[in-house]
Formats: sequence, structure tokens, C-alpha cells
Amino acid sequence: MKRLRLIFQLSIVAAAAFAGVRYALGKSLVSVETYCPFGGLETAWSFFTRRRFSCAAGETNLALFIALIVLTILARKAFCGWVCPAGALFEWEAKLARRVFKRRDFSGVWPVPAKVDRALKIGLRIAVLGLVLVATWKTGELVFRGYDPYYIVFSAHGHDVKAWSYLVLAALLGLGLVMPMAWCKYLCPLGAALWPASIAGRLRLARNEHHCTGCGACDKNCPQDLPVSRVKELTSGECTLCLECTAACPTPQALELRWSAVPRPKGKR
Amino acid sequence: MRAPAWIIPVLVVVCTAAGIGGSRLLVAPSLVHTFADAAPTADARTAQMVVEGVKCVDTAERAVAQLNELDGVLKCVAYAARARLDVTYDPARTSAPAIREALEAPVLVPATGEYLFGLYQVVELDGEKIADVDD
Ligand code: SF4
Ligand code: SF4
Repeated sequence: MKRLRLIFQLSIVAAAAFAGVRYALGKSLVSVETYCPFGGLETAWSFFTRRRFSCAAGETNLALFIALIVLTILARKAFCGWVCPAGALFEWEAKLARRVFKRRDFSGVWPVPAKVDRALKIGLRIAVLGLVLVATWKTGELVFRGYDPYYIVFSAHGHDVKAWSYLVLAALLGLGLVMPMAWCKYLCPLGAALWPASIAGRLRLARNEHHCTGCGACDKNCPQDLPVSRVKELTSGECTLCLECTAACPTPQALELRWSAVPRPKGKR
Repeated sequence: MRAPAWIIPVLVVVCTAAGIGGSRLLVAPSLVHTFADAAPTADARTAQMVVEGVKCVDTAERAVAQLNELDGVLKCVAYAARARLDVTYDPARTSAPAIREALEAPVLVPATGEYLFGLYQVVELDGEKIADVDD
């Protein structure tokens, strides 16, 4: 499954890069924005209030955003772990940094206390999301483009990418070295928009306490730095179902994927 | 209930395909412009054009402005994400080739008085490819 996920990520990264270069060279009219579900959220207000799409957004963006909400209700943030090209780049960076700096896990240089982590995941990301949506709805322009690592990397110097956009990208990559996946965890507005649906997500990992030896291999290998070994059922809205934890777990049946029909128990992270 | 791991990529693929397939249910324009002297006519025709250079609402507005001077153009509907312009015209007063010519004409930048060449190129007309994107 690990290999299949890597194939998904590599194919999508390659397809996005290919589309971006072709569009930049004037060989195609399909830009990297065409298939971005966040564009669907950005244009949703305009679509539902005026029946018009904003800026360069269109029906594919909106339909993909709606499909993404459905996917997230079913399979949590699988989009982030299996599809998002920016998520793939930040994950690869985190893995590289872990190997180069010989880190035992993905908590980074300054492990963030759980309360701060939660406050940032909710507060900061929602603030970014609110800011982007209000600015887009007020101006009718996709104002986020110049700050969006996906667009900066894959648009091949697309419209609205300025010199400062590369500084933003460099800062995000720098931050990712000391705080793995910082963009995804604390800043990504799409992550914020998906979070409520992800909490309700039906597919979740469950830890079988009878089989689990408490070795903690799952915690150390979770790119999202989630405390897999400390919960019975992983209900965090941040789990991307990447299955790195199950691949690292040395005990068969200690971690299994469950289709949960029950409401989320309280007090679980 | 236990779920197999393969359900994750299957759900990813199915939802993505449903999103792309379902997009046709959400079609809406980026811009609708009715020309000031658009007298209604029973014989109006619509030319569906894919225009390189129409990338967003702003570029669509500029393309529409190219048609301001052309007599017989009644309405223009832009779908920026697909670079498409649907131009409704009175065939007694203008034609699809004349509309194409007007769109592809140099674009005047009012602020500088300069003309920009090759900003728009019609690459498809009524479903028929008439030029390569990078021609
Ligand atoms: S808990 Fe497991 S599946 Fe979820 S993000 Fe962490 S490693 Fe991936
Ligand atoms: S890696 Fe497996 S055995 Fe080890 S703590 Fe996690 S679930 Fe338990």
C-alpha cells in the first residue's frame, strides 16, 4: 500500500508539473488551477449567489471540491495523503529532514505542546481560510495564488507569482525543515475547510490493545505526528490515511482500518 | 467493521472521477455581456469559440471589449476556465470570421496608448479546431 500511495503521489506531482509547464509554454489551455478543489471553495460564494464563477475558476473546481467533501466524510484527509501535490512535497521534505538530521520522529526541532498544536491547527488555519475567502469574495480574484505553494511550484511562474512568492515558498520550506509538515498542519486553508468533515470521517484506524506491544513505532512514523499508540481509535481530523503507521507497526493486527458507523466518542484526539 | 486498505485508493479514484464527471451539472459562466445596441433578432446565431488568452474574468472582459466596435454582436458569454466565448450575433450584420478577426486584432492599452499584438487567438470555432494553441 505504501508503494501504491507513492505511485499516486509521484503520478500526480508529475502530471501537475507537466500541465504547468505546458500551460506556461502556451502549448495547452489547461492550467494547474483547473483541477484544484480549493478554487471551487473560493468561487462557491460567487456561484451560489450570482451563478458566476470568479476569476479563472470553473465548474471542475467546484465539482471537485464537493467530491472532496464526500471523500473526506468517507476517508478523512485521504486527499492530503494520496492526492495533494503540495502535501506530497512537504511530506517528502519532512522524511528527508528526518533522515538527514537523524530524527526519531516527525515532531521536529521544537515539539509543539499538544494544546498549542491544537490551537494552531484550529485557530491559525481557520484565520488563513477566512482571510483568503473574504479577500476572494470581495475582489473576485483568486488572491491566494501568489502565496499558495501548490501554485507557486507547479504553475511554472504563473500569473500572480511574483518574486516575493518564491520568498514565501522558501520560508515555508525552511519552516518545514524545523517543523515538519508545518504548511499542512498549521496554514493550509483547504486543510481547515476539510477538518470538520474529516473529524466525522468514517474510515479510521483502530488499535487493538491485545495485540499492541506499545513499542511506539506508529507514533514515530506518522508524518502528522499523531499519538497513534495512545488512543484506541484514531479520530483526529488530521489523519490522512497514509498508512505509514500500519506499515511501521511490527505486530500484525495491532492496527487495523475500520469502517466506523458509530458517532465519534468524546475526548479522543 | 474492518475495512481493507485498498478501499482508500478506490474511494480517492471514485470521488475524483465523480467530481470531474459531475462538473457538467455545475456549468455557469464567468461573464455575461449584452451589447448596448443589441436589437433582438429572430435569426441570431451563436459562435462557440475557444480563445487562447481568455484565462480569467479580466481577460474575458478585455476580449469582450474587442467586440464593442463590431456591428451586429449581441451578446457574449465567457467561460474562463475553459477559455470559451459564446458570441451571439446577427448574421445579417456580421459573421463568425468577422468576430474572430475583431478578437484577434491588436488590443489597445488605454493607459499607454500602445497596442498589444497576439493577445487573443481563436483556436476552435463551433467545435472545429482552426489553429494550434501555440501557433
Ligand atoms: S495516523 Fe497513520 S494513517 Fe493517519 S496520518 Fe498518521 S501515519 Fe498516516
Ligand atoms: S507500532 Fe503497533 S505495536 Fe507498536 S505501539 Fe503502534 S500499534 Fe502498538
